[in-house]
Amino acid sequence: MILFKLAWRNLVGAGLRTWLNVLVLAMAFILMIWGKGVVDGMAYQLNDAMTNIEFGKGGQIWHSEYDAMDPLTIEDSHAAYPEEVNTLIAAHTAAPILIRQGTIYPDGRMQTIKVKGIHPEQEVMDLPTDQIVKGATGLTPALIGQKMADKSGLEVGDLLTVRWRDAKGTFDAREVEIVHIMNTVVQTVDRNQIWIPLDELQEMSNLQGEATVIALDDPFEGVPASAAWVYRDLDFLMKDMNDMIKSKNFGGNVMYGILFAIALLAIFDTQVLAIFRRKKEMGTLMALGFTRAKVIGLFTIEGSMHGLIAFAVGFILGSPLFYLMTTKGYAIPGGMDDYGMALGNVIYGRYGPDLLIGTTFILFLTVVLVSYLPTRKISKLTPTDALRGK
Amino acid sequence: MDNSTLIKTQGLVKRYPVGGGHFTALKGIDLNVNSGEFVGLVGPSGSGKTTLLNIIGALDAPSEGTVEVLGKDLETLSGAQAAKHRSAFMGFIFQTYNLLPVYTAFENVEFPLLLLGKSAEERKQLVMRALEWVGIADKADSRPKMLSGGESQRVAIARAMVKEPKLVLADEPTANLDAKNSHHILETMVRLNKELGTTFVFATHDEKVISYLHRKVTLVDGSIQSDETS
Repeated sequence: MILFKLAWRNLVGAGLRTWLNVLVLAMAFILMIWGKGVVDGMAYQLNDAMTNIEFGKGGQIWHSEYDAMDPLTIEDSHAAYPEEVNTLIAAHTAAPILIRQGTIYPDGRMQTIKVKGIHPEQEVMDLPTDQIVKGATGLTPALIGQKMADKSGLEVGDLLTVRWRDAKGTFDAREVEIVHIMNTVVQTVDRNQIWIPLDELQEMSNLQGEATVIALDDPFEGVPASAAWVYRDLDFLMKDMNDMIKSKNFGGNVMYGILFAIALLAIFDTQVLAIFRRKKEMGTLMALGFTRAKVIGLFTIEGSMHGLIAFAVGFILGSPLFYLMTTKGYAIPGGMDDYGMALGNVIYGRYGPDLLIGTTFILFLTVVLVSYLPTRKISKLTPTDALRGK
Repeated sequence: MDNSTLIKTQGLVKRYPVGGGHFTALKGIDLNVNSGEFVGLVGPSGSGKTTLLNIIGALDAPSEGTVEVLGKDLETLSGAQAAKHRSAFMGFIFQTYNLLPVYTAFENVEFPLLLLGKSAEERKQLVMRALEWVGIADKADSRPKMLSGGESQRVAIARAMVKEPKLVLADEPTANLDAKNSHHILETMVRLNKELGTTFVFATHDEKVISYLHRKVTLVDGSIQSDETS
C-alpha cells in the first residue's frame, strides 16, 4: 500500500511530465477503442444485413452446380426442390429462389441481369417481396433496388422488356412492370437484377417446381438426400465478408499498434530516464530502508499508474465519443457505396464490455511490462553507487 | 560486545576492483563506538571515511573483517534485513541533502515513518515535532527546490531524527553550507545528541564540524592514525 501511496505522490509531484504521458496514452487508448468499436459495428451491421436480407438466418441450400461468383453456372443450376424442404416452404421458413440470366434494354441499351424468382409471400428474407403484385397493366410485376433503378434510369410504373432463355435454350421475351423500388444496403440483392414472382419465372423458363437456391430460417440438419443439392451454412456464405473484416481488423490493429507503441515508448522513455536521472533518489530510498525489490516495485507502479490514470482519463474523454458513435453513428461518404459492402449510410459503433474490458486489460498488462522492463537495471545497483548517482 | 557499545568493527578491510588489480580503501579498521557518542571520522579525501560510514550503515559490505552495529553482525543480514535494520535504527544525513525532490519538507520527513507503518495522526505529530527541533516548521509545505541549502539540510536532519534512531550517520553534512548555517546545523545536532541520547557518527574534513566533536578518529589512507577524545 505504501508503494502505491508513494508512487501516487511521485506522479503528482512530477506534474506536467506525468500529464503529457497520460494524455498521449489516453488518446491512443480512445482511438484504439473507437477504431475497434467501428470495425465491430461494421462487422455486426454487415453480418446482420447479409444474414437477414441476402441469405436467411439458417443459411441456404444451393443447387450443386451453382457458384454465386460464376455467372456461367447459372444456366444449369436448377432442380426440383429437395423433399426435405417442402414442409418448410409451406411453413414459410424456407424460400426457394430461381435464378436465371436475362437481358433488359433500358433506354434501348442492352444490359445483362439476373432474373430472380421468389414467392411474394415469403418471410425468410427481409425483402419487400409482398410488393411484387400485378398492377393495372396486368404485366409481370418486378421489384428492383434503388441502385439498379439509378443506374438504369428506371422508375415505378416503367415497363421493361426482359429477354431470357428457357430450359431448352430458346430465347423468349416479355414485358415486365416495375412495381416497387426497394432501398437496401445489400448490393448483392440490388445491382443488376430484378425480382419477379417465382411461379412466373418458373413458367417463363419452363422450370416448374424448380429453384437454384433455397434460403432457410433455421440451419439445415444433416445433408440433403438429393445429390443435386448442397447445404451452405452461414460460415460458408459469409466467408468473403469475414475475410474482409479480418483484413480490416488487421489493418486497423497495425495502425493502433503503432499509435500505442508511441505511447508506450513515452512511458518506457520516462522510466529509462527516471532510472538514469533518479539514481540518487533510489540510493536515498535504500538508505532510508527500502529494499531493491521495493524500489523496483515503486518505479514499476509509478509507470503502471500512468496507464491507470490514462484509462480513467480515456473513459472520461472517450465516453461522449463512444455514446455518439453508438447512437448517432458515423456517416459514410457516398463513395463507399462502390465498395460493395452492405453497410448503409451510417456505421454504428459497438462498444460492449468485452471490447472495453478486454482492451483495457491487454493494454494495462503491456503498460505494466513496459514499466517493469527498464527497472530491472535497478536490481544491479548497489546503494552506494546509487547514492553517488553512478 | 559491551551493552553500551553501539558499533564494533574488527579487522575491517575494503577493496575495490580497479583495472586488473584492486584499490584498498580500508586496511584493517578496529573501532568501537559507544551509545550516545558524538564522534567524527576525520581525514583527507580518499582516506576511507565515507567507505567506513557506508559499511557501518549496511549500505556496503566489507571485503574482510566483521562489523557489529546494535548487536547485529551485518555480514549475516540479507539485503531485506539490512534495509529493515536501517529503517528501524539508523538515520542518514548526506552532503547533498538527498531530499526527495517531488515531496514537500513535511513529506520528506514523514517518509521514514511511513516505512515504519506509523498512523497518519502519529506521523503528523512526530513530523511537526522534528521540524520544530530543527526550527523549520514554517517550511513544512515547501518543496526542496524552494529551500536554501541550510534549510534543506535541516529538513534532512529532521528526516534522520524523526524516528529517534539510536544511530545517525552524517556524511560531510556541512560541506555545502556557509559558516553560519554550518554552526546552526551542528548546534542542532549537538542538542539532539544531548537531549535524545542519539549517537552521531560523522565523516568529515570540515574544521567547523571537527570543533564540535567529542571524539575524533583520524583516518589516513584507510588506516586509523589517531583516536582522540576531548
